[in-house]
Amino acid sequence: MISVGEKAPGFKLPDHLGREVGLEQFAGRRHVMLLFYPLDFTPT
Amino acid sequence: MPETEQLLPRFRAAHTQVLGISVDSIFCHANWAHSLNGISFPLLADFHPKGATAQAYGLYLDGAGITDRATVIIDAGGVVRHASSVTPSGRRNIEELAALCERVDKEHGAGLADFPTPEGIGKVDALFVKSNCGHSLKALLARANLHLEDQVPLKNVTEDAEARNELKRLTGKDQAPCLVVQGKAMHEADDIVRYFVSGAADIG
Repeated sequence: MISVGEKAPGFKLPDHLGREVGLEQFAGRRHVMLLFYPLDFTPT
Repeated sequence: MPETEQLLPRFRAAHTQVLGISVDSIFCHANWAHSLNGISFPLLADFHPKGATAQAYGLYLDGAGITDRATVIIDAGGVVRHASSVTPSGRRNIEELAALCERVDKEHGAGLADFPTPEGIGKVDALFVKSNCGHSLKALLARANLHLEDQVPLKNVTEDAEARNELKRLTGKDQAPCLVVQGKAMHEADDIVRYFVSGAADIG
């Protein structure tokens, strides 16, 4: 797992509402919380 | 995810954009989000190449081909401020994560602009859909995931002859999906989704 203090790796990915969302677009403007999860339609 | 959706105002107030991410496709995401009563924040498809972003964060579980259940908070400077796993079968504490984001925001100090208020989608006459139609489903899912049910009346032209006649009268044909806004017709599912997103989504 990535460590606190490291530079966050960039990404640009499609989302479920047809948008392309990249980390870069939030640089200097927003904090970002990434919720990684195993799979859709699974419990918890 | 529904707990997070409910706490979005708190994350927004802390100038934090929430993003969900798994190896599923955008179609799977949209259907799942709908089954959870609508998820409006982005669910990202780390689908191709599979799990590449999870790998970059050291959160891809090679043996199982899935991503760990883990949370990474990145500040506006692009630096990781929090990283934790609850394991795939574990549960996140969203309240605790909201408090962490508030702390990151406080330490960052002033200077970040507030999230913009969505402009709204205006007065929509109706969304006409067909049964068993993937394009109609796309528009329907976006309507639900952005919580637009009350603002976008739904008419099914397969099940309701009156709706079909109305669509023909309004647009000259019975092609669906079709979003009618102040008498103007929009037929492409992707255009309809974009229209909903541009008016109602508050990614910012």
